[in-house]
Amino acid sequence: MRSKTKNKERTQIERVKMPELAPMIRVKYQDREVNMGLELEQALKEATRCMDCVNPTCIEGCPVNINIPKFIKYIEKGDILQAAATLKETNALPAVCGRVCPQEKQCESRCFYVDKMDKPSVAIGHLERFAADYERNSGAANIPVTAEPNGIKVATVGSGPASLAFAGDMVKYGYDVTVFEALHEIGGVLKYGIPEFRLPNSVVDFELDNLRKMGVKFETNYIVGRTSTFDDLREEGYQGFFIASGAGLPRFMDIPGENSNGILSSNEYLTRVNLMGAALDDKDTPVLKGKNVAVIGGGNTAMDSVRTALRLGAQRAMIIYRRSEAEMPARIEEVKHAKEEGVEFMTLCNPLEYFADQKGRVSGMRLNRMGLGEPDSSGRRRPMPIDGSEFELDVDLVVVAVGVSPNPLVPSCLPDLKVTKWGTIVVDEDKMQSSISEMFAGGDIVRGGATVILAMGDGRRAAENMHTYLQSKSNN
Amino acid sequence: MVVENPLIAKSRKPGNFVILRIGEDGERFPLTIAGADPVRGTITLVVQIMGVSSSKLVALEPGDCITDLVGPLGKPTHIEKIGTVLAAGGGVGVAPLLPIVEAFKKAGNRVVTVIAARNRDLIILEDEIRKWSDEVIVMTDDGSYGRQGLVTAGMEEIIQREKIDECIVIGPAIMMKFASLLTKKYNIPTQASLNSIMVDGTGMCGACRVTVGGKTKFTCVDGPEFDAHQVNFDEMLMRLGGYLQEEKAATDIYLQKL
Amino acid sequence: MEEELPRICIPIYRANRIINAIILKMTNLNVTYLGLNLKNPIIAGSSGLTNSIENLKAIEKAGAGAVILKSIFEEEIYLEFAHEFRKLGPMDNNLEFLDYYDYQIKKDNLKNYLSLITEAKKELSIPVIASINCTTAHEWAFFAKKAEDAGADAIELNIFVLPTNLTQTNEDNESTYFDIVSRVSSKIKIPISLKISSYFSNLGAVIRDLSFSEIKGLTLFNKFYSPDVDIFEQKIIGSDVLSQSTDYRLTLRWIGMMANRVNSDLSASTGIHDWQTIVKMLLVGATTVQIVSILYQDGFSVIPAMIQNISNWMEENGYESVADFRGKLSLDNTTNLAEFERVQFMRNFGEHK
Repeated sequence: MRSKTKNKERTQIERVKMPELAPMIRVKYQDREVNMGLELEQALKEATRCMDCVNPTCIEGCPVNINIPKFIKYIEKGDILQAAATLKETNALPAVCGRVCPQEKQCESRCFYVDKMDKPSVAIGHLERFAADYERNSGAANIPVTAEPNGIKVATVGSGPASLAFAGDMVKYGYDVTVFEALHEIGGVLKYGIPEFRLPNSVVDFELDNLRKMGVKFETNYIVGRTSTFDDLREEGYQGFFIASGAGLPRFMDIPGENSNGILSSNEYLTRVNLMGAALDDKDTPVLKGKNVAVIGGGNTAMDSVRTALRLGAQRAMIIYRRSEAEMPARIEEVKHAKEEGVEFMTLCNPLEYFADQKGRVSGMRLNRMGLGEPDSSGRRRPMPIDGSEFELDVDLVVVAVGVSPNPLVPSCLPDLKVTKWGTIVVDEDKMQSSISEMFAGGDIVRGGATVILAMGDGRRAAENMHTYLQSKSNN
Repeated sequence: MVVENPLIAKSRKPGNFVILRIGEDGERFPLTIAGADPVRGTITLVVQIMGVSSSKLVALEPGDCITDLVGPLGKPTHIEKIGTVLAAGGGVGVAPLLPIVEAFKKAGNRVVTVIAARNRDLIILEDEIRKWSDEVIVMTDDGSYGRQGLVTAGMEEIIQREKIDECIVIGPAIMMKFASLLTKKYNIPTQASLNSIMVDGTGMCGACRVTVGGKTKFTCVDGPEFDAHQVNFDEMLMRLGGYLQEEKAATDIYLQKL
Repeated sequence: MEEELPRICIPIYRANRIINAIILKMTNLNVTYLGLNLKNPIIAGSSGLTNSIENLKAIEKAGAGAVILKSIFEEEIYLEFAHEFRKLGPMDNNLEFLDYYDYQIKKDNLKNYLSLITEAKKELSIPVIASINCTTAHEWAFFAKKAEDAGADAIELNIFVLPTNLTQTNEDNESTYFDIVSRVSSKIKIPISLKISSYFSNLGAVIRDLSFSEIKGLTLFNKFYSPDVDIFEQKIIGSDVLSQSTDYRLTLRWIGMMANRVNSDLSASTGIHDWQTIVKMLLVGATTVQIVSILYQDGFSVIPAMIQNISNWMEENGYESVADFRGKLSLDNTTNLAEFERVQFMRNFGEHK
C-alpha cells in the first residue's frame, strides 16, 4: 500500500476534522453524542495520511500495543471489517477506546507527524472508532471463535472494562466465565461514569451482547464477599478469580460545610444521571439541579460532571481547579468541548469552605486564588494560595470531582490479600497475580483511577496468566 | 412481605439491609431485613407507604418479581450477652428493630422494648416484638393504644427503675436524636440505626454520609448503626430533607397516574 | 509567738505563715499558664517525643506540669504528597487519581493527630496543648478548630517563618503574625499561645504588641534548624538539632527585659537543660519553661529531680510559691532598655581588669 501514494502527497492532506454536534444544540441533550463520527470518505482520506512507517512509534505509545498501521491500512484499502478485526486482536472494546482514550498522550503523541514534522498526528482515535462503529452497524460483526469448553469455572468481580476484557479472553480459551456485578447494570464505569454524550450505552450494550453470544455469563445485584463469600464460590467450583471492582470510593476535601445538601461526589452525581437516568422525567431517581453549579477538579470526571450540569439546565457551570489549564488531567478534547458549550473555567482557584441556607442547602462558597510556585519533588509546580485573595461565589450545587479511590469492599473480605496504603491491590506487574495465588486483579483497583485502555490491558494480561496458572494446576 | 432470595437469606445477619428497585424506571432504595428463613430461602421485609418507591413495592402481588434486589449490605449489629438491653422503636423503625431484639434475646440478654407511634394504626409488629422481649411498653402520641406519650417517656421510666447495659434506638431521625440525648444523660451506651438517603448502598457515592464523632462516615458501609451519642443528628436531619421537593413532586405525579 | 519549729528552714520574719508551713511539707509549684492550672511550671515542649500516647503518659508520670504535642505541619503534608507522587513513577495515566491526593494525606495525618489529642485527654490529667504549624493563612484556623474539637486544652501556634523573603518589608512579615492570630482566635474559644523566633528588627515592640493581641501566651524563642558546611564533601549539611546548654541566654535576656511590659504569659524555650536555668527563667519573669533537648539526651527521669531541686531552692530561700519570686529579677517597666544594656555591658567589661 505504501507505493500506491507518494508520502509527499500523503503529508499534504490536512488532518480530518471530526464532525461535532453544534454546542448550542448539544447542551440541551444528555444523550446526544457530541462527536458524530467520520463518514467513509473522511475515514479513507485520513487513513491515507498514515505513512505506514518502517518503525511505527505509534504502537509504542499505545498501552496495549495495538498494531495501528495495520488497521489503518485496511481502512485505506476499504476493508473496514478487517480493520475492526485487527483492532479486536488486541483491544476488546475499540468502539469505547476510540471515544475515550487520551490519544494525545498515547498513540497520537508518538505519530511521525508530531515527532518529526510538527504537524497534527494521524487521527488514530477517530479511525479506531470509525472501524468499530462500522462493524457494529454493518451487522456483520463476527463472534470470535472460542475453544472447546474445558469446564473450569472462573469468576470476575465487577463488570467494567477490565472484567469485560478478561471475560472475553477467558471464554475464548474455553473457560466457563461468570461476571459478577454489584449494581443492577453491567458495564461499570462505562455505564455509570461516562455520560451518554461521550459514550452511548448502546455502544457498550452491543459489546456486552457479543460477550453473551460467546458464552460469558453475567450476574447482577451480586456482591462478591457479601451476597456470597469467596469461600462459597470456591465451593461452587470456581477456581480462579479476577478482581476488578474498580475505584468506586468517593473522595471529599473535608472542608467546612461540605456535608451541606447540594454538595455531591462526582460518583453520586454521575450515577444518578447516567445509571439511573435521573434527568428523565419518567425515571424515579431524582437529581438535584442547580442554577449556579461549581465542579471542583480538572480531570475527565470533572468535565463530565460540569457538562452534565449544563445539560440539566445550569445557567452557570464552572470548573474550579487549583492549578492552571495546562496541568489539567482531562483530555484536551473534553476541555475544548466544555469551553464550546459555555463552561466557565476558573483555574488557579481552590475552595476553602461552603455556606448553606437555613434548610441546609448550599448557597455559596469561599475560595482562594492560587499561584504556581516552584516545582516540587513530583515535578509539578506547586499551587500556593495567594494571601488576601479570598473571594466568595454564589453556588447552589457543587460536585466534588477531585478523584476516587479503590472501593474497599472486596479487600476487606480477604484479610490475606496484600493491599497498598492507597487501597490498591498489590499484584505482580507482569502476571497481574495477587498475593493469593488464584486471585488476579486489574484495572482501577490496582492502578488507582486510570484509563479504560489500561484496565483492558490488565484484563487481557490477567486472562493469559490465569490460563497458564490453571492449566499448570490441572496438569499437576 | 416475604421475598424469595436464597443467597441473601443465607448470608444475612441482623442489622443488614438490602437495596431494591421496582421497575426499570425505579429508584434504588434501602430496606432493613426484618427476618430471614435460610431453609426456605426467603427474607422478610417490612414496608410502609411513604412515597413512590414504597407504594410501588406494596402494589406488587405474590408471584411478582422485584426488579433488582441486592444485599446483604451494611455492618451487622454487634450482638453480645451484656445483661439488660433497652430497645426503642419509633414508627417504621420497629421493623429493623425486630431482628435485633430477637438476636439480643437469643444471646441471653434481658430485653425490654418500647415501641411507639403517632397512633394505634401506626403501631406495627407488636406480636413479633412481644415474642422476643421480656417486657414491652407501647406508647402512642394520642393515647389511642397503649400509654400516651413519647417513646422517650417510656424509656425513661424503664431506665429509672432498672439498670440498662445497652440501648438500641431505631426510628425517625428526630426520635433517635431525643432518645439518644436521654440515654446520654444516664451514660448508657447507645446504638442508633440511621436511615440516610442512599443510591448505590455499596459505599460508592457518598450520598448517605453522616458525621460521627467529628468524622465523615458512610451509613451504607460503616453503619447503618453508629454510637448514637457521637452522631450529629442535626446534620443528618438536614441531609434527610435534601430531596423533599423532588420527593413531593414525584409522589404527586405518581398518585395522579393511578 | 514563736513555736517550736520543725526542721524546715522558714525565716522567722514569716511568722504569720508558719502555720501554713507546718501543714505543707513541700513548697507549692503551682502556676497558672494560659488560664490553665499547672502543678508546676515545667512543660514538655513540642518535639518528636510528644508524639505518642506512651510517651505522653510517661511524661505525666515523671511529673511535668503540662505537655505540648508535636506540631502538625501543613508543609509536611504537602511534602509527603509530593514525595509519594514521585515514587509512583510515570503518572500521566494516574494523574486524575493523584491530582488532589494531598487532601487524602491531610485527612489521614489530621485524623492521626486528632486521635492523639483525644486519647491524650482521656489518659492524662495534666493539660494537653496542641501545636500547629501552617504555611497558608487559612489553614491555621482550620487545623486549630479541629484540635479544639478533639479536646485540646490550648493551642500553641508555631509560626516558623525565617525572614528570607527579600521582597517583603518588616510590616509584611509582622502583619502575618497578627493576621494568623486574629483568624484563629475568631474560630476557637480555647486559649492561644504563640511561639516566635527572635528575627525581628524591633523585637521588643513586636513582643509587646503581640502580647496585647488575642493571645494568652508568648513562647520565646523557637529554635530553628541550623545549616552547617561539610568542607570535605563541600556541601551544606544540618548541624546539631539539639540545643546547647548556653543557648538559653537569648531567651533569658528578652524575658527579663519584657516581663513587665507584656500583657500575656511568657513561656521560656531553648537551651533549658537543668533546674538552675529553670529557676533563672522564673526569676527573670517567665511563667513557664519548655524543655525538649534535655529529655532527648537524658530521658524523662530528669523531671522529678528538677522538681525536687527547685523545691529545695525555694525552701532554702523562703519561697512558698512560684508567685513569691517570679519576676524578681526582671527589668522593671521604667528602665530604659537600651540604657540598661549599655550600662550592663560597660559594667561587665569595665570591671574586668
